[in-house]
Amino acid sequence: MGSLEHRAFLYDGTEDFLTGAVPFLRRGLEEDRAVVVVARAVNVAVLQEALDDCRNHIEFYQSEKFYEHPVRTLNQYQYLVQEKSPRRVFALAEPVWHGHEPRQLMEWIRYESLINEVFGDSGASALCPYDRVGLPPAIVEEARRTHPLLLTAGAARRSDRYVPPKAFGAGCDRGLRFDRPPTAEYLPLESDDLHELRAFVGERALAHGLDALAAGNLMTAVNEIAANALQHGTPPMGVWVWPDGDELLCEIGDHGFWRPESGALTGFLPPETALQRGFGLWTVRLLVDLLELRPGWDGTFVRLHVRRNARPGSHGDRKL
Amino acid sequence: METLGTVRRPVRDLRPGDHAWLGYVSQEERRHVVGAFVRDGLLAREKVICLGAGDELVPGVVGPPPETLLTVVPPARLCGGDGAPDPGTAMAALAAEVAAAEALGFRAIRVAADLTWALRGADGLDRLLCCERLLEQTARPSAQVTVVCQFDRAACSPDELAAVGGAHAVLVDPDPEFEDLVLRITRTFRPRGLALSGELDASRHMVLDQALAMVMAGGHGAEIHLDLSGLTFIDLGALNMLAEVAARRAGHALVLDRMPAQLRAVMETVGWSMLPGLRLGVQG
Repeated sequence: MGSLEHRAFLYDGTEDFLTGAVPFLRRGLEEDRAVVVVARAVNVAVLQEALDDCRNHIEFYQSEKFYEHPVRTLNQYQYLVQEKSPRRVFALAEPVWHGHEPRQLMEWIRYESLINEVFGDSGASALCPYDRVGLPPAIVEEARRTHPLLLTAGAARRSDRYVPPKAFGAGCDRGLRFDRPPTAEYLPLESDDLHELRAFVGERALAHGLDALAAGNLMTAVNEIAANALQHGTPPMGVWVWPDGDELLCEIGDHGFWRPESGALTGFLPPETALQRGFGLWTVRLLVDLLELRPGWDGTFVRLHVRRNARPGSHGDRKL
Repeated sequence: METLGTVRRPVRDLRPGDHAWLGYVSQEERRHVVGAFVRDGLLAREKVICLGAGDELVPGVVGPPPETLLTVVPPARLCGGDGAPDPGTAMAALAAEVAAAEALGFRAIRVAADLTWALRGADGLDRLLCCERLLEQTARPSAQVTVVCQFDRAACSPDELAAVGGAHAVLVDPDPEFEDLVLRITRTFRPRGLALSGELDASRHMVLDQALAMVMAGGHGAEIHLDLSGLTFIDLGALNMLAEVAARRAGHALVLDRMPAQLRAVMETVGWSMLPGLRLGVQG
């Protein structure tokens, strides 16, 4: 399909936004691409006004609903690209940068980097607007590292600070902290039969305020990681569960050293079908809010985060 | 067809005094269920009496039938003076065999009777109910006799099937293909496939794979249905395995019926496009 054109658009205020975004979208229409806008509500409004003559040829989505979970958003974009194929996608793609915990924020930055890998061969063009007036400078700075191309003040150029996704992801993982409270409940994994583990996790999930659907998703996720540990890991193995603020955390540990081939990209790249390797871990990433993987001196640990007030099945794919 | 008061019981749970019935949709189903009934009896060295089986092989019998244990009442012995099958004659022949077995000291006697013939022609239902009354008298008060009546559904009208159901206290189900404390797998024949209940995880993929292979072997490439209504957990490895099985059957879908909400939520998270060859069937 050709290579991806992934460009960060660093703009100052609404007028500057339109000066960059409108010509980009018009070019997409002229080239008969599938033109998509995913932007914050304010930007959707100004674009719809500025492109009044051709807005019916553009699909508009609201970022607030589209960007709810990084791995699910990647998945949604993948569906979009498949659905439009053989037409190439021309997307204005603006993530939401406000209202995140530091941990989530890092996952969204990583997400921008993963776009380069997941859609590398899609032939798509993505212009990602970053509001230099409204956003913290650190976020804008990260955009230079996650996008190989830049557009600033009308000038298109390469980003000399760009870091390829694998290296970028490894940097994200380096900062992970893995302390565990002494009150965490523990179940050793000693048998291939994971029935007892599921009962243990399901019970805690419900007790800590997850609804039945979210508890079931967590059980599926924990079961998958534990089955992997039993197959490839080294005893002792076990599972810890504990609440942490708004989240329920569940960690599966074994004494082996698991260093996946795809490194920091592990489980982020959507497989084509369930038959491909990586299907399990990728699904686990979809089923929980956050998965952290830490292979280290003392073993391999996979930590799953689930929001305790999780909204079941919110996939935010509503079209405007 | 199950009327109020009818009990469903797998073959292995039938007991003396049971007068049960099976409405089969295919010879495969008949062989499966009646075969288990006959085989279990022969293995336990009980008396097995087969009625109306014609000259075909008795299901569940491997190798030369053990003469003392197995008696086949040939169609000729069911017929009255006019050469047509007749309830009185048939039941008299059966009663004679039961009495003979009792005289030989058998602790348990199994009767497998295909009564589809009784429904053919005029007054079929009357003829059949007459048979059933006699069988009921043989089985119910007995501490030894178990009866399984069989009917070809294709040869019966809905009214006839309802009447048949009303005449039996027990409906016989297939034995599970696999059962432990966590998972049960049972054959289904309407539609062809398997019913799963309990939880399916990596430690039990092998038994599902075997059960599926068996269904596929007899299926001539037709669709296979999995009734998941009783399944409370399925692991991702099992989804992978089912997709693999479906891929091997190129073009013939595996249909997932009555999938519980939690399982569907997982499937939808994964996306059906990830699972080529799997299809969502009937719901609820």
